[in-house]
Amino acid sequence: MTAKTKDGKVFFKDQRIYMPIPLQFGIGDKMGRGPYEKSGILRDTSLPPLRTVTEKFYIPVYNESMKEGKLARDIIANDFTVEVELWYLPYGKKEDEGNSQLWQKVTKNLSIEKGGK
Amino acid sequence: MRFLKLLFVVLLVLVPLSVFGAQGDVMKKAKTIDELAKMYDSGSCKDCHAEIYTEWSKSLHARSIFGPAEVGRTAATIKTTIENGLKDWPSSGVKDPKDVGIKHLMICAKCHLPQLIEAEDSVAQEIVKNLYAFKEPEDQAAQNLQKLNIGCTVCHQRNAIVHKWKFGNPDKGAVYGSKDGEHASPDFPKMKKSPYMKEAILCGQCHGQGPNFDLDEPTQCATLYGSYNFAYRPEGGTENCQECHMKKSKLGHNMQSYRAMGPMAVDMKVEAMAYQWRDVVTTTPAASVQVDLFNKAGHAIPDG
Repeated sequence: MTAKTKDGKVFFKDQRIYMPIPLQFGIGDKMGRGPYEKSGILRDTSLPPLRTVTEKFYIPVYNESMKEGKLARDIIANDFTVEVELWYLPYGKKEDEGNSQLWQKVTKNLSIEKGGK
Repeated sequence: MRFLKLLFVVLLVLVPLSVFGAQGDVMKKAKTIDELAKMYDSGSCKDCHAEIYTEWSKSLHARSIFGPAEVGRTAATIKTTIENGLKDWPSSGVKDPKDVGIKHLMICAKCHLPQLIEAEDSVAQEIVKNLYAFKEPEDQAAQNLQKLNIGCTVCHQRNAIVHKWKFGNPDKGAVYGSKDGEHASPDFPKMKKSPYMKEAILCGQCHGQGPNFDLDEPTQCATLYGSYNFAYRPEGGTENCQECHMKKSKLGHNMQSYRAMGPMAVDMKVEAMAYQWRDVVTTTPAASVQVDLFNKAGHAIPDG
């Protein structure tokens, strides 16, 4: 998930990973990588069938500083965009050719009011 | 005379073990990739089942030890299995790719090419040579690897019967489907109904449950059938593999996995709002985002 200003500058980024984490040879605490060393599940964050997984993100839309001894939070942008993408990434990096695949994308335009006290 | 008696006894023992399988069928093992490919060739099915053949030819089943056509990911993983696994394990008997035999490749081929068990070690060596020679999908090595696959007769013949004590071994002269009858093929003149053909367990034979404990060196690849049984069904799910991957997807025998099915399997709902939180002296501009992901599939996403 990313939050961007209108000119495309990313000011917030976060991600969640959904996958069964296989256990290496079924022993210890290490994740197994290839099928040849995977046996069992260490932890499972995959999306379970017929269930809803809910994620909540808090986006600070400010830069923090001290002004005259007081905490100040200066707004980054009054108008900005939030993009939520769901990617399939079976191995490697998202940038690797022929690897990752975008499944879902939702864009929301948000505004914070100007003025007032 | 004593020698002849001994020879007779030896022949009595050896002949059934080497020539006949457990069911009394003559077992001729393939010596080359081409021989094994011919034993399980789907080409003759194409004449009458052209549409199904075309669908299948686009599927990963059609290149089951090579993987996606563009990248050959499965072939690369089998090679990694040799390099990072077999060669590294002290009791595998493999110090060099030249040592790889059928029993070694079966830790992958149990599902990626179950008929490999009907081949001699020379076929294992030929596969290994092609695995190491393959660099680009257009290579001859890549083409050779794609001669071997999960074709028609793997699901509709070899693996068509799951419980063999209850229903008997698959009839070598029959193809299994949804009805009994004659079948216009010299190699498979009979058509038989398999009780499994429309059931998830048919796919579950390979799209697995977790570690393959039947192997001396258990591997774990797909865990879909485990998730189907222990997560999807307990949630009240009633559909099976074929209903989603063949019918709802309208892909028929071009059965696909995550790349084709993923977008239709997961619903994503996003709610977002921006606001200003205030205390005595500081205003805090912020936004909150809630993402709901609902997995409609019959198994966890992803699996493994």
